[in-house]
Amino acid sequence: MAAAIETKQLTKTYKSKSRNLTVVDKLDLHVEEGEIFGFLGPNGAGKTTTIKMLLSIIEATSGEGYILGKELGDFDVHKLISYVPERPYYYEYMTGLEILKFYGSLFGISDVAHMQNLLERVGLADARNTNKTINQYSKGMQQRIGLAQALLNDPKLLFLDEPTAGLDPIAHREIRDLILSFRKEGRTVFISSHELSEVELICDRVAIINHGVIVAQGKLTDLLAGGRVEILVEKLDRGVFSDMKIGDGNIHDTPAGVLFDVPEGSDVNAIIDGARAKGGQVVSVVPRKKRLEDLFVEAVRNK
Amino acid sequence: MRPVIAIAKATVGEAIRRRVLLIILFIAILLLAVAPLLGVLSARQEQTVLTGFVLGIVQLSSAVIAITLTVYMLPNEVERRTIYTILSKPVQRWQFLIGKYLGAVAALAIMMGLMAVVSVLEFGLFQQDWAKGISLLQAYGMFFIQMSLLASVAICLSTFVAPLVNFFLTGGIYLIGTLGYAFFDSFNKNPNAPVLGKGMAFIVSSILPNFASYNVQNPLINPETTIQNPTMYAVNAVLYGLFYIMIMLIIGMLMFDRKEV
Repeated sequence: MAAAIETKQLTKTYKSKSRNLTVVDKLDLHVEEGEIFGFLGPNGAGKTTTIKMLLSIIEATSGEGYILGKELGDFDVHKLISYVPERPYYYEYMTGLEILKFYGSLFGISDVAHMQNLLERVGLADARNTNKTINQYSKGMQQRIGLAQALLNDPKLLFLDEPTAGLDPIAHREIRDLILSFRKEGRTVFISSHELSEVELICDRVAIINHGVIVAQGKLTDLLAGGRVEILVEKLDRGVFSDMKIGDGNIHDTPAGVLFDVPEGSDVNAIIDGARAKGGQVVSVVPRKKRLEDLFVEAVRNK
Repeated sequence: MRPVIAIAKATVGEAIRRRVLLIILFIAILLLAVAPLLGVLSARQEQTVLTGFVLGIVQLSSAVIAITLTVYMLPNEVERRTIYTILSKPVQRWQFLIGKYLGAVAALAIMMGLMAVVSVLEFGLFQQDWAKGISLLQAYGMFFIQMSLLASVAICLSTFVAPLVNFFLTGGIYLIGTLGYAFFDSFNKNPNAPVLGKGMAFIVSSILPNFASYNVQNPLINPETTIQNPTMYAVNAVLYGLFYIMIMLIIGMLMFDRKEV
């Protein structure tokens, strides 16, 4: 599949008299067309700087990058992409439709029916014919307007910065559904986010950046492989269970009982049988899927 | 050109709703309204004093509006991240800067136009001298060029100077360009002046815009000034202003193009 975003050794260094600060260091990113890609990292990791470079708002110090096959800085790319910043601000005196007219005019788009359809699509059908200005919109409505303006040019690639930050659960879900619908339409979505559970739900692949360096990148299914199984057993004496063979697992003596923590794929039945044979009573067997949060913490801490 | 116009329109819409500008405008109109009362305090001819006051109020408040409007314009766009959504569209940085400048100038025109209407009505209704009121429109035209020039200086500086510094820097340039330009210019042309001082005066009068040439119609500031050929003078002043604005905007565009936003 062709790459929607490809960067090679992309670096951004801010130079000042006293020191040079490398915010993004030799970034190698690969985002395929038609996928939802999660770009994760703690605050100050270099996410926004990366997005600004990809949008050609700032220039990279070194390295190269391609957006939809065109080199970074190619002005024509701007006709094919869109961006919704975190906590977007729009000219407050404008109504929802006026915002779309303004952004539409930057593309030379003046089709009001198209704009009204977009308002309806993002769940702002009521905003089509009202004089409610943007400063009277809730956070969720402003986010929707952001998505509507981002769809004006029918983009192939959307950059969304924290698209669900600060939204209530219903708005969360609706925005998530909208993002998923973009994938169905064949658009590529690049999401920078802290909402790991959200990313886990919708992204095909992710990259984790920390201190400007990619510390993990790949398919979510691959990155999250290697879950564990926890078996809790009561009435098992220390002298008995410490002799049990459980491969790569760990045994913890907890107030609730003895906890066998073994890698996914271990012979769980053998452990259960062994514990029973030694007088233990199995209370629970819980498969623990590796979560994105675990991966994130692990990747960031290891770095 | 389409993005430039769209950005300019949005800038006008925002500027005419900015509370601080509306307060300055309100105070200016209030002062214009009470200006006829100030005339009786002076021994000089009432209408001359009134003319001077009215022109002074319009000029001063326009300058404050021009500076306040433009120094925060680009920094605000960056701070609120509006610039990112705009620059991620097919909009070049120079188009953004020119759009913002044209929007600021259009907003200035609206606000100055409002003050001009009030002052014309004032002369017409209270002084029963419509001709005098209308004749002031020429002066307002010159002020408009002056303020457009001032706005271009502020927007140019805003591409590389912090807003507060820019506020005082632009204000300082305006004061020197208005009050001190003639001094530096005559010092520069004085053959008896010391070479170092002359050189400094040459640099100052060459670099700083000559705002003073737009004030000639104020009888309080320039009581004895007579212009031989007013049309030629106005054309020269306009051309000088446009040339200077162009230089300021080109510098601004070059700086803004390299700016890390």
